[in-house]
Amino acid sequence: MAKASADEVVVRATGLTKVFRRAAKPPGFAGALRHLVRPRWDDVLAVDEVDLEIRRGESVAYVGPNGAGKSTTVKLLTGIVVPTAGMVTVCGLDPFTDRVRNARNIGVMFGQRTQLWWDIAVQETLRLLADIYQLPPERFRRILDDLVDALDLAPLLGVPARQLSLGQRVRCDLAATLLHEPEVLYLDEPTIGLDVSVKARFREFVRRLHDERDLTVLLTSHDLGDIAHLCRRLIMIDDGRIVYDGSLTEISKRFGWEKSVHVALSRSEPSASTIAASMFAERARAVTQDSETELVVTIDSREVLPGEVIRDLAAALPVADVRIEEAGIESIMRRLYEGSLRFDGEPTR
Amino acid sequence: MTSTAPAGGAVGGVRRRPRYLAVCLTAMQEATAYRFTAVFVVMLGFFWAFILYFLWEAAYTDTATIGGYTWPEMRTYIVLAFGINSLIGWNVAGAMQEAVRTGDIVLEMVRPLNYCGAQIARYLGYSTVEGAVALGLTVLIGVIFLGLQPPVSPLSGALFVVALAGGFLTRALFLFLCSLLTLWVLSNAGIMWAQQAVTLVLSGAIVPVTLMPLWLQGVTNVLPLRGIVATPLAIYLGKVTGPEMLGLLGLQIAWLVVLWLVADRMWRRAFRAVEIQGG
Repeated sequence: MAKASADEVVVRATGLTKVFRRAAKPPGFAGALRHLVRPRWDDVLAVDEVDLEIRRGESVAYVGPNGAGKSTTVKLLTGIVVPTAGMVTVCGLDPFTDRVRNARNIGVMFGQRTQLWWDIAVQETLRLLADIYQLPPERFRRILDDLVDALDLAPLLGVPARQLSLGQRVRCDLAATLLHEPEVLYLDEPTIGLDVSVKARFREFVRRLHDERDLTVLLTSHDLGDIAHLCRRLIMIDDGRIVYDGSLTEISKRFGWEKSVHVALSRSEPSASTIAASMFAERARAVTQDSETELVVTIDSREVLPGEVIRDLAAALPVADVRIEEAGIESIMRRLYEGSLRFDGEPTR
Repeated sequence: MTSTAPAGGAVGGVRRRPRYLAVCLTAMQEATAYRFTAVFVVMLGFFWAFILYFLWEAAYTDTATIGGYTWPEMRTYIVLAFGINSLIGWNVAGAMQEAVRTGDIVLEMVRPLNYCGAQIARYLGYSTVEGAVALGLTVLIGVIFLGLQPPVSPLSGALFVVALAGGFLTRALFLFLCSLLTLWVLSNAGIMWAQQAVTLVLSGAIVPVTLMPLWLQGVTNVLPLRGIVATPLAIYLGKVTGPEMLGLLGLQIAWLVVLWLVADRMWRRAFRAVEIQGG
């Protein structure tokens, strides 16, 4: 297979749509009985005309609230479910009709499921996978040595999967996913439940892989650390539709105008928030007092500058210390999910 | 708990195996983890064999043959039928259905394998180990306590093994088809019980086919399930010979081809129609 140019499109979806049929059962046992006699079904639109292009070597975060259609999209891209309408190709193949050939190009890891055989040593699962992909022995050994090295698997190879801790299990699962050197890597909530240090090592490893091997990565995660660390591009889906597709930094630029001024007072001032609230009634979005000596004023920096806030506060209150916080990607995403922020205008690509 | 840590290279350097054979061998390895469960299940099940044994013994007090079987033949039939029936592969049937129920099936679908073939390979792996345990114990107890007879001739012994292997595959495909039904009903208990009952009766595990009512004989004789117990035992006991025996083996093979084609087509259709569970 010829190595294609860097801007080759690896994953392409046009008008990709998936409608599920879900049993519409009236509540209770009587409802279940009625469904038996005369079944009724609702159509659930899980993915709604999604257009997507991911180029070789890109790392893309695919985010959205629960039930937005993320997992269904991944299942469509991996060939596990068939689209209701639209077209999808991965490395030039239709993943559903060409499932077996497509499977050689992709690696899929689900943080919540394990592909390791439960009661036998990890190395047996890895060896089985090498056979399934028919890796020549010397190539298998080379790849495995690399993975064992990078993921520190040596002490785990002889252990049955059921005896592994979650962190160990995830490392082994990642090795099982990467053994056949896939071109496209799908990570579905890969770090869920992991502790901070395991998480950091996991990200570090995937990132290195991505940088060194030109691996294309599609990550679905609710963990903003994962996203910020691994992905430059972010696609947000809600109700089965793409609501944002652009760079991660662009999001902060477009929505990062919210700033909060944190003020520490030199002496206790119980009424500080009332004073500040009346002062900034027109200009601030929120005034909160965390304790008797701490005050937070949240503003829209397009309407009022943090400097003004500090100046006015210092004139009225015994201000000892000041800190300005910019809206992080986290709060932006949270509010997008909650619906209190809207994408208006054309998203920049 | 932790075994000695082998270096990464220790796993490499092994020979490459054909992929479905690798699945089968790995399943055998995993099955050995359950060998005590296997022994336990077989021992427990022997109660059933003993009850049948004594019932039939009572039935034979006044007569020399029933349905063409003498008492030594009948007791051999009961014990072996029980032994074969213990090779139910409870692991893999459960595993297949559990994978559907929890949605773990996605993990098997993203590998470059024919799903049906992989499941059958896995089933054979588990069953070989469980079967070895079950048959070993059965023959041991049967020979010592229950007067188990050897096959009527070396040839019938050899063909018994062939028919037994065919029966294995029949059972595997039948189980696979049943587990596919789980995709539509999304619960497995009912289907499991039903298939077990149907298999017990129609395979000839409870009574030999010749003792069934005529209409049921007619049904049983053309269905594939008789290949699991009735056909191998008829060969073992010399109840069929020559062209008739070849006919039974032929029927078994023909059904295997049909079942395979149906199974292979049905899982593709199943995945077209059905939602995968969970997020």
